[in-house]
Amino acid sequence: MGLRGLTYRLIETWALLGGIVILLVVAVQTISVVTGAFGRPLPGDFELTELGVAVGVFAFLPYCQLTDANVTADIFTSGLNRRNRAILVFFAAVIALIFAVVMAWRTWIGTQDQFAYDYQTAILQIPIGYAFIPIVISLVLVAVAAVMTLLESFDEIAHPSRNVSH
Amino acid sequence: QEFTLKLHHFLGPKSPAQTQMLEPWAKSIEEASGGKVKIEIYPSMSLGGAPPELISQVRDGVVDLIWTVNGYTPGLFPRTEAFELPFIHTNDIKATNLAIRAMFDEHLAEEYKGVKVMFLHSHAGQAIQMVKDEVRKPADLAGKKMRIPTRTGAWVIEALGAAPAAMPVPDIPQAFSKGVVDGALIPWEIIPALKLQDQTEYQIEGHEMTRFGTTIFQVAMNLDKWNSLPEDVQKAFLDNSNEEWLAKAADIWRKIDDGGIKVATDAGNTHIQLTPEETEVFKTILEPVVDRWVTEVEGKGIDGATLVAKARELVAANQAK
Amino acid sequence: MDQSLFLGLVGLLALVLLIGIRVPIAYAMIVVGAVGTIALNGHAVFLNQLKTLGFSQFSKYDMSVIPMFVLMGYIATRAGLSQDLFRAANAWFGRMRGGVAMSAIAACAGFGAVCGSSLATATTMGQVALPELRRYRYSGALATGTLAAGGLLGILIPPSVVLVVYAIIVEANVVSMFAAALIPGLIAVAIFILVIAIYVRLVPDAGPAGDSISRAEWLSATFGVVPVLGIFIIVIGGIYVGLYNPTPAAAVGVALVALYGSLRRGVRLSDYRWALLETAKTSGMIYLILFGAELLKIFMSRGGVPQAAAEMMVNSGLSPMVILVLLLLALILLGCLMDSMSMILLVMPFFWPVVSELDFGMDPEDVKIWFGILSLIVVELGLITPPVGMNVFVINSLAKDVPMWQTFKGVFPFFLGELVRLALLVAFPAISLWLPHIVAG
Ligand code: NA
Ligand code: NA
Repeated sequence: MGLRGLTYRLIETWALLGGIVILLVVAVQTISVVTGAFGRPLPGDFELTELGVAVGVFAFLPYCQLTDANVTADIFTSGLNRRNRAILVFFAAVIALIFAVVMAWRTWIGTQDQFAYDYQTAILQIPIGYAFIPIVISLVLVAVAAVMTLLESFDEIAHPSRNVSH
Repeated sequence: QEFTLKLHHFLGPKSPAQTQMLEPWAKSIEEASGGKVKIEIYPSMSLGGAPPELISQVRDGVVDLIWTVNGYTPGLFPRTEAFELPFIHTNDIKATNLAIRAMFDEHLAEEYKGVKVMFLHSHAGQAIQMVKDEVRKPADLAGKKMRIPTRTGAWVIEALGAAPAAMPVPDIPQAFSKGVVDGALIPWEIIPALKLQDQTEYQIEGHEMTRFGTTIFQVAMNLDKWNSLPEDVQKAFLDNSNEEWLAKAADIWRKIDDGGIKVATDAGNTHIQLTPEETEVFKTILEPVVDRWVTEVEGKGIDGATLVAKARELVAANQAK
Repeated sequence: MDQSLFLGLVGLLALVLLIGIRVPIAYAMIVVGAVGTIALNGHAVFLNQLKTLGFSQFSKYDMSVIPMFVLMGYIATRAGLSQDLFRAANAWFGRMRGGVAMSAIAACAGFGAVCGSSLATATTMGQVALPELRRYRYSGALATGTLAAGGLLGILIPPSVVLVVYAIIVEANVVSMFAAALIPGLIAVAIFILVIAIYVRLVPDAGPAGDSISRAEWLSATFGVVPVLGIFIIVIGGIYVGLYNPTPAAAVGVALVALYGSLRRGVRLSDYRWALLETAKTSGMIYLILFGAELLKIFMSRGGVPQAAAEMMVNSGLSPMVILVLLLLALILLGCLMDSMSMILLVMPFFWPVVSELDFGMDPEDVKIWFGILSLIVVELGLITPPVGMNVFVINSLAKDVPMWQTFKGVFPFFLGELVRLALLVAFPAISLWLPHIVAG
């Protein structure tokens, strides 16, 4: 397995981990419904859901970039040849890369603020900064995925005839 | 106009907080500055983000001014939190506002990093609103599910033997009508906006409108922005955020709150004001909440006992005036 | 021209341009929002806001229901629900002329009751019902057209992810939206079945009658829908009666569908893996667009655009009803190019401030609900109109021998049926508002 294959695996695994976090949120909510029926909802179910879903869905973003899941309106461009299409894909990947790098950087600064000012959740008093850390990792992985898209589309621009396999 | 400032907050453009407090405050400053200042109010988080972000937005200069609830960011204002504890604020908004002001420089200022606080204020305080249960003693709340306003509000509910449930304010009517919660700890002021009078039967508060804790709000300006303002403009802000204004703000919130309970009683709801003896029973059972808080903030190196004592003393002193 | 309006127009043009050159919609919104905010108020304001904006947008409690309903839908597609539903529906309608297609519609409605997505409904029911329709010699046009239209029931019948997103953008109550969608959704089922009845009357060869079955088989097939009905009642019924709000309801739904899947057919670990990865793609895409919409909103608010646009509309002298119909027409046209979710996400931040200023002689909260249901119908039409009609593409890809134009032809009568339904709902807001009023008590 080459570097690309490994990176693909890493990003896919990261998305699956995000999915498992969502499943944990599902569990927290379901347990809270059951215990709530007996008058004792799980303390902090609200904030655990907010943190869990944020962490989980951010972990999905690199996979979205990699699998081209972010919706595009293909209407004006479906008639283009491979090379011209690849140029557009390249351009979109550049935007994704800039977005990911800026967001990772700013969210990292935000993480430091979270700890410096002692932001925490209301009931369980979980430091919110802990949720920011996996989010920063996710954003770095979005950047990595964008670089992969970039390289692939660059290949196609340079060698439009060659079949690029994933 | 030389200085246009953006004031960001989380309530709607027609909320009493905007029309009766923020707009008059902004207007008085604009006038006092001789037209040099213009304050643009952006309601409903229209400049982006969620309410807990307001404080970082003003600190980072994303906006110039904010009005927010301290409790949206638990952990950031542990000292000021003393005023939210049960029976620190009692029934006199003005006394609470002035006590906070009196303690600010020496005891509270250090937790407002990166911002220039214009003023801190309370609303009328947390009261008990019940869907169908009459409450005259803590035992009446045993096993009930109650919506909580703040972190310490959750402790109040627990101390009363009820189960705390967190939910955003707009979800309350639905939660009431469907029996998701049996009641809420929330002031009267919210009644008309959410039409709570249609869902509740009982509104309960202590003797002489004594409440069970309160929520503290702040209006704050970005510190760099503040330092960049010339002295006469700063003065316009300070003169209109002084003790006199705090008293006026107290009257405004009292009036909004009175309007709320009137809507409820007009709709046939029962407004219960506990007797002194009944109020005393609540006081006794809620005292451990204060102790719990003192122990907890000690862990952060904060002398909670002194803060509580000082707050009580100053509230009492201002009440006597 | 007013400066704010000019600004908004430039922003809109830039957005259209970027989307036109195949920049993902989310990134187009992010770029326009970022550049616009920086141009208006400087880069420091923008960069500082980004420190917490990602977390705050992704951690919104109201949105947590999205990945859960999406996951519930994907698990449902692997849980064997679709076979049970189709078998039951076929036991009821199968013997009539056009009955197998009617069964497919009814089964789609049942599937829509546990799945919040149109594409997932079309794909899943397509895999089950298409072979049956072909076996009974249904014409390619009617068979594929029925399923492409039936897929729409995935979003027309609650739960519906598109409705959740609408509610988040306009700050409506999700419960009210779900309640409002139910009766119009059932009307859609009735109209689709009626469309099939008329279709086979006009073109008798298109939909021959199916086989008759024994009473025992009829009973066992009918009882097959009990679990699905049970899940719908617990999840959506639970929301309606106020047992819980949508987030715990969706969580319970995920748990129940997974339980059903393991009892009914033994959903394997690989199915969960697939469901999680599909959920990752769908919800990641939605969250990123919502993030882009927030950046766009910040830019527009700073430029004073929403107020200016609403003012212009209100001062245009057009009656509220005319403006409403114009907006809906614009959505139908846009639907030719875009899918429903992106349209709601892209357009509502512009449309809602305008509509909220119009006076229909109704309570503002009611207008919010009513407009949401009308928009839902209009945006889902985009899934069956050429040239980009995702449902048509998906179903057509399952039927290799049917040309694409045949599928578009087959779905056209359903499109007309939807226009009739839309007219009904515009003329009688009470159809949408009756149930939410009951639910709100
Ligand atoms: Na659905
Ligand atoms: Na279309």
